Order: sequence, then C-alpha cells, then structure tokens
Amino acid sequence: MLDIIPLKKAFLDELNSITNLSELQQLRVKYLGKKGLVTSKLKTLSTVSPELRPAYGRAVNEVKDYIEEEVKKRGSLLKKEEHKKRILSEAIDMTLPGKFTPFGREHPINKVLYEIIDIFISMGFEVEEGPEVEFDYYNFEALNMPKDHPARDMQDTFYISEDIILRTHTSPVQIRVMEKRRPPLKIIAPGKVYRCDVDISHTPMFHQVEGFMVDTDIAFSDLKWVLESFIHSIFSVETPVRFRPSFFPFTEPSAEVDIGCTFCAGKGCRVCKNTGWLEILGAGMIDPRVFEMVGYNPELYTGFAFGMGVERVTMLKYSIDDIRLFFENDMRFLKQF
Amino acid sequence: MRVPFEWLREFVDISASPEEVAERLTMVGFEVEAMESVKDDTVFEVNVTPNRPDCLSILGIAREVSVAFRVPLKIHVCEIKGELPLSDFSVEIFNHELCSRYAGRVIKDVRISDSPEWIKTRLEKCGIRAINSVVDITNYVLLEFGHPLHAFDADTINGKKIKVGMPDTVLLQTPNSKLQTKIKTLDGVEREILGDSLLIWDAENPIAVAGVMGGLETEVNDSTANVFLESAYFEPFSIRRTSKRLNLISESSYRFERGADIEFLEKALNRAALMIREIAGGTIYEIIDVYPVRYVPEPIKIRYDRINRILGTEISNADMLKILKKLGITTEDKGDFFIVYPSAYRRDIKRDSDVAEEIARSYGYDRIPSRIPRSPLSSGKLDKKMMNIIRIREAMRKSGFTEVINYSFMSPSSLDVIAVPQADRRRNVIVINNPLRQDESLLRTTLIPALIGNFKYNLDRGIRDIRFFEISSVFEDIGRPLPLEELRLGGIFYRDKTPSLWKEDVEGFFITKGAIESMFEELKINEYSFSSSSELFLHKGQASDIYVRGAYAGYLGVLGPEIVERLDLKKQRPEIVVFELNLDLLLTLIPDSIKYNEIPRYPYVERDIAIIVDESLSASEIKEIIRTFPSELIEEVSVFDSYRGSNIPEGKKSLAFNIRYRAKDRTLTDDEVEELHASLVEHILEKTGGELRR
Repeated sequence: MLDIIPLKKAFLDELNSITNLSELQQLRVKYLGKKGLVTSKLKTLSTVSPELRPAYGRAVNEVKDYIEEEVKKRGSLLKKEEHKKRILSEAIDMTLPGKFTPFGREHPINKVLYEIIDIFISMGFEVEEGPEVEFDYYNFEALNMPKDHPARDMQDTFYISEDIILRTHTSPVQIRVMEKRRPPLKIIAPGKVYRCDVDISHTPMFHQVEGFMVDTDIAFSDLKWVLESFIHSIFSVETPVRFRPSFFPFTEPSAEVDIGCTFCAGKGCRVCKNTGWLEILGAGMIDPRVFEMVGYNPELYTGFAFGMGVERVTMLKYSIDDIRLFFENDMRFLKQF
Repeated sequence: MRVPFEWLREFVDISASPEEVAERLTMVGFEVEAMESVKDDTVFEVNVTPNRPDCLSILGIAREVSVAFRVPLKIHVCEIKGELPLSDFSVEIFNHELCSRYAGRVIKDVRISDSPEWIKTRLEKCGIRAINSVVDITNYVLLEFGHPLHAFDADTINGKKIKVGMPDTVLLQTPNSKLQTKIKTLDGVEREILGDSLLIWDAENPIAVAGVMGGLETEVNDSTANVFLESAYFEPFSIRRTSKRLNLISESSYRFERGADIEFLEKALNRAALMIREIAGGTIYEIIDVYPVRYVPEPIKIRYDRINRILGTEISNADMLKILKKLGITTEDKGDFFIVYPSAYRRDIKRDSDVAEEIARSYGYDRIPSRIPRSPLSSGKLDKKMMNIIRIREAMRKSGFTEVINYSFMSPSSLDVIAVPQADRRRNVIVINNPLRQDESLLRTTLIPALIGNFKYNLDRGIRDIRFFEISSVFEDIGRPLPLEELRLGGIFYRDKTPSLWKEDVEGFFITKGAIESMFEELKINEYSFSSSSELFLHKGQASDIYVRGAYAGYLGVLGPEIVERLDLKKQRPEIVVFELNLDLLLTLIPDSIKYNEIPRYPYVERDIAIIVDESLSASEIKEIIRTFPSELIEEVSVFDSYRGSNIPEGKKSLAFNIRYRAKDRTLTDDEVEELHASLVEHILEKTGGELRR
C-alpha cells in the first residue's frame, strides 16, 4: 500500500514539467494506459492479502481518479493556452483591403431616366417607345410643323434623306401611339433624340422623356398637377415651380416650366442668369391640329403633352455644369453616381 | 430680339424698374433671357417665339407691356403733309399669291450722310451697324415697328418700273425680254435665283431678292440723290423657302417668314419717309400702293365653356372679353359663345385653343389651379421588355461592369479598324447628310468601336481596371425607308497585370464569359453554347460565338494582336476582352414565368473522372457527351480542372469532371452508382478516344 504514495508524487512531479497536450497524453498513458503504472497496480490487486485488498483497492482507485482529474484539468488549461497561442500566431493585418469586385455603376442619365419613369408609372402612366430614325412626317408634319415652317428652326435636324431624319424629340411617339390606340391614354415615351448642335449645354445626342394624357376632360390644370407632382418627387417638395407662356407648334396653350435654381436656391447666380429660375420642361395642351392628324375629334378629346431633357434634369439634380461629361464616359465621373 | 429699355419707354409711360418689366414680360410669354447694361440704359434680350412676329419690334413688346402694366400705348402719328404727286413711277405685282401688297414712296433730293448719334446709338444697342442715314432709318423703323423696309437708289431703277414676281412668271408674261436670274446682293455675293423665288425687278433686271436682301446695283450710298422706299407684304412660306435655299437670313427675311403686318405697312413707310425728310432732307412724293388681296379677318366662333374646359378654370364670360379687349383683339358677344376677329398682326390666332392661350396668358398661368386629373385610374407598368432590360443592366453591374452611353454615330473608318469584311451586314450603314463632323457621319452598326474608345480614354487617364457595358440600338440599312434598329448589349474588359495584393489567376476572357453566363442565369436562359468565332478582329484562339437556343446571339473574345497594335497602348500584350449580344433576340428567349421545381428529397452521390484527351477536344464537347448519356440519374456535370504540362503527353490535355448522381424516388446504393459510373467512363473514353488519367 505504501508504494501508492510515491506513485502519486512521481506523477505530480512529472505533471509539473508537462508543456503541451501530447506530453500530457503520453503521461496519461504512462500512468493510466493498459500497461500504465496505476493500471498495473490494479492488476496486482489479486496478489494482495484479502484483508488488505479492499483498502488497497480503494487507495489505488483514488489515485487513479486523482490522476484522471489532474490530467483533465491540465488538459483544458493546456488547450486554452494552445488556442491562445494559435490565435496570436494567426493574427492578420486587418487594415489590408478587402477583396471584392466592386459593382459597376449606372450611367447617371439612365439612373435619372429610370427615376423619371418610376414616378410617372406611379401616377398610372404607361411606357411606349418609337424609332430613333424617323419619318419627317411623324417628327414634324403630324406635329403641326409643315415644311417651310419657321418653328423647324427651333430644332436643328440631322437628315438621312429629305423625308427621313434622326428624331429631334420623342414627340413622334405621341403620333404613333394615337394612330393605333384610342383614349383614354396616359403615356410616357423615353428615348434618345438628336440635334446638330454642340456646346457646353448641347450635345448632338441626348435623352428625352415625352409624356401625354388624352381623355374627354383633360385641362391645363391637370397638366399643372401632374408636372408639379413630378417635380416635387424628382427634386424635393420644397422646390418652387412656375409655369409661363411659351410656344410649341404641337401644343396650344403652351408653357415652359421653371424650377427654383438648384445651384443658388433662387438667389440668382451665373447658371440661372440671375433670374433665380431654371427651365426644365416644355408642355401644353395638345393642339387640335395634332388630334385632327391622327383622326381624333378635337371637340370630344382634350389632352396635354410635355417633354423634358433627361440630361438637363440630371445636371440640375447633381449640379453638373457641362453636358459633354455624360458622353465622355470617364470612369472618374461615372463612379460618382 | 434686343430691346433697349429707354426706347421701350417712348411707347409706354411706366415707372417700373427694368427688372420688374423683365419679370412681367417673362410671365406673359416673352422670356427675357438676359439683361445687359449699355451706357446708362438696360437692354433686354427677349426670346420671341416663332408664333409672335408682331413682337419682333419695340412697338410689339411695348404693346405687351402696356397690357401687363395697364398703361396706354403711345404710337407716333405718321401723317405726311406736303407730299407731291407722283407721275413717273409704276409698280406691278405678277404673283399676287406671294405678294398681296406692295407700297412705295419716292423721296427726291436727299443729302445722304451719317445718321445722328441718337439713331446710331439705338441701332448699336440692338446689334445693327450704322451705314448711312437712309439705310439706318429703314433699319430703325424695322426695329421700332417690326416692318422690314427697303430703300433703292431710284436713279438706278431702269424704266422707273418696279415688278414683283418669280422669274418663271415674269418670263412668261414678258416673253421678249432677256431676263437674267442672277443677282449680286448687298453682301457682294452673286446669286443664282431659282424660278420660283420671288424677286423685285426693274424694267430689265432683278434688283432685290424680295424680303430677303437688296441688290448691290441699286444700293443707296453717299452719292444717292433720289430714293425709292419699299414697304411690302410677302407670303411667309415663299420668303422662308428662298432664304433657306440661298442660306441667307436677314433681319427682313426673319420677320417676313414669320409674318408681317399687311395693314400696318403703310404707317411704317410713312414713318421712315418722315424721318428721311427730317434727317436727310428732300421731298416726299405720294404713295404708290398696290394692294390686290385685301386683309379680311377670319372670324372665330368660340364657346365660353370651351375655354374653361381647356384651361380647367372658371373665368366668367365678361372677364374673358375684358382680357381680349385689353389685348387689342376685337370680339363680339353672342350669349353662349363669342366671335373673335383677329387683327392683321395676330394671324397666329386661328382657333379656340389660340384664344384660350391669350386668355390664360393674361389671366396668369400661376392663377390656373392645379387639379388631380379626373381620368379613371389606370395601372402604370413597365412592359416585359423594359423590365428585362433593367434585369440585364443589374446583372452586368453586379459583375463589375459600369454602364456607358455613347453617341449613335461612328466614323467611316471605324469598321475598317475592326476589320469588318466588305460583304458583312455591318457595312449596310445609314449615312447622315449633314453631320457635325466627318467622323460622326454614320449611324453605328456595332457598339464595339465606341467601347474601344471608352477603354482607351480611361486607360490614358490611369484607370487600370476597366469594365464597361452599353445597351443601345444599332442601325442597319435593310432597303426599307426606315433602318432596322436592333438593341445591343456590348461590353469591354481590361485589367492591368501589374502586381497586386490579391492575385487572381483567371483570365479576362473567363471573367467576361462569367459575367455573360451569370446574366443568362439571372434571366433563366439555360440553353446556350460558346463555339469558336470567325470575327476577324478577335484573337483566333480566344474568341467565341454565342448561341442561345440554337440561334446566333453574338460574340465574345479577346481583341486580336493587329487591332491592339493599332491602338498604340504602350502596354505589353494587353488582354482586352469585348462582347456584343443581340438583345432584341435575347429578350424573346427569356421565359415569361417561373415554375417551382420540387427540391430533391434523396441524397446525391458524387464521382470524379479525369481523362487525357486531344488538345482539340473542348470541355463543352465532353460535357455534352456526358449530358446525353442515357441515364436519368445524372443530375449535374461540372468541369473542375483543365491541365496541360508535365505528365501529360504533347498535344494532349487533362480534363476533370465532377458528376453528381441522384434518383428522385430513392437513395442510390453504392453498387448501383459504381456500375453506372463505370459504364459512363467507358462511354466517354469510347467517344473521345481518350484515356483515364491516374
């Protein structure tokens, strides 16, 4: 029985010098393995005299439990230390950049174009499209601009032939739609348009959204509501809006719509030429001549139409001062939107 | 139209500031686009719309101001006293339909000199150069009253005869004359006049292009003693046609083509004659006035309620008439309706909507209420095509491609640069007759040249990772009046190979291909294939045509070395990948709806196979062999390795596939899969002539 005590002591000595889990495992095997020191003591139990056997057995088992317990305790301690070490050794420089393919950007024109479309869709408008290369008839004549009409000077036209042109506005879609459908109509027509003109505020190609509404009881006051709602939605509810008389051959009465200058908040600056106002759209009541051209009875139907330049809206929205930026496609510009 | 404020005040006695006047003019439809301080005056730059030629004058603008500010309009009295009878001048109009009134006066014994300062100053403010007193006075009256006048040196008019007509007509009616149709105009240019352009002739020759510009021969200069002053009305369309043809726009033609005031022209003539007598002396002779087609106002019948229906207002009948009266428009009340008699200077008023505009303008657009349309509710919605375009744009952006928009134009050399064969569809170009620049003279038939341009522009500015896409139409002449407009999706990829922290071994080709495939996935387009392309501008070994459900949809590939060399990029063998897809086709192949498939309930079993095959055999061919193997248990096949190099014989490569087996209704047993896989392997080896890699 006496040989149990030094065994325990020897174990404790050895345990103290253990530095890692595999040494601990070896130590455990040395004492508690099949041929371990403690196990072999249990195997010799039968050689102990019967009167001493229960006490000796108890003592050996106590040591066994003790060692088991100590190994376990030490094991979890060592494990903790090892994790700690590993974590330390695996530390990374978290300030290195993350790895990803950045999403591409929407072109600002399309971004705003879809915003415009969304707003009108929310008001119940449908979207229609038409060809970019168009008959003179749809672009001009059916819109009350016969050949030799001075109003044609308002739009510098690219010609393919005498009768075929690059559309100068998306208004021909108005004619195409009215030719094939009957009122009520609530349509917008977005798309590319072309005019032979280039400077800081003009490019030979730009985008327009034409819109129109035709029914038996549409008035100028409806036009005002729709456009005011639109402007308040695309800019802000505080944006001042004003309608002033103007002229378009295909609308009568006609209006130009201004918003309070977005650059100077209406105080007056270079951009708004000190007026505090910026023109944003053209609009009006569809001219009865246009209805006659598509076979609608102008006594029965009234309607309004409007048209806006998407570049213009985008420039005002983001304070961009040169329209040509849109078509240079400089990544440093595009990635800002 | 430039309007000096002090001149304006000669017609209307107002105390308002220039700013206030500008604001009011803008709000009644005459936008003051700019205000300029000139000496001690303010000059307005007024945008006069084409429908209001009456306001291309100080008087016209003053009339609007007088209405807006409710002050009377003062017009000069232009009565001539002491005129002498005229016996030796005659006027004949050959084409009444183009000239319905022609008036003139002879003023004899004038002494031509410089104009007095006050005339010069006013002309200058309006942007007109002073010449001599008589010419300046005609310009002065043009600006003041808006009616164009012309002064001839009366002694240069052969036969003291004025004829107004087109060469065709004049020739027909004076058969024996040797009429010439060439005229040297005041700007010194000799011009050939077409047979249906209106001219002013003397007994022998054309002496002016009617309403556009006078002739040099009959010009009034310092030695002129006797003047013939013309004041006429020419038909707008005729003047416009002539001015367009001659590419000659003058202050006169600008007004005549918009419409002059046929009634007022006599007053303008008298005003100028009086001014000439006062400044240059001389004797005024009595008026010659040939007025074959008298102006008769076309009465317009309008219902009062119609006006309110157009405007959405509740303006009373009396108020409507009051507004129109203020505007100088004659009306007659008939109970439910009224009649409008437009004056000769308001020929733009033709129907009820025109009258509605006049009323609205004066009433104030700001006073018209905003009203929610009473039209029935409708569901606004994007059509499928547009929704799918949005999905495509999103898919491209998620793959890192940024959207660009380029002009629809291209240069005639663009197609040569990308080696498009002569017989290719892309050569069926639409040509613009009047391009701004020669290199923008065609409508593009491919998006690629512009995308290469975008790439180079950005590379030159230090951008090292370039991924662009564009969705735009291309245009092809197909022998019909209008070209075929086809919607395309094009893109370009380039990434600098300079070392970076995060290495990626995948080639640009596969990144771009991956972008296209993930877009197909997003659109639920699953039957597509890539096969080698014959596009000449692409790298022969790195270019595929793309087929979707068996139809050619476009191509993808690396730019060929010759093309890249021409771009002069100063980069070692850059890998630039481009693609172009026919979206119109693709959009028709997107399934309309999604139907749910049951999620498999039983587990799968995986097996790999690596085989060594000829270089020429493509992964997709082998995949196809596996896919068509007659077993319903093959669920999925994917390539996970492609290798050539050590251990692989020359001319061969190793391809490895992962095959996933699954049954819908039970758990597969190992034996079952073993047997199936073995026969599949055998099948592949037989079909490819390859061998297993061990």
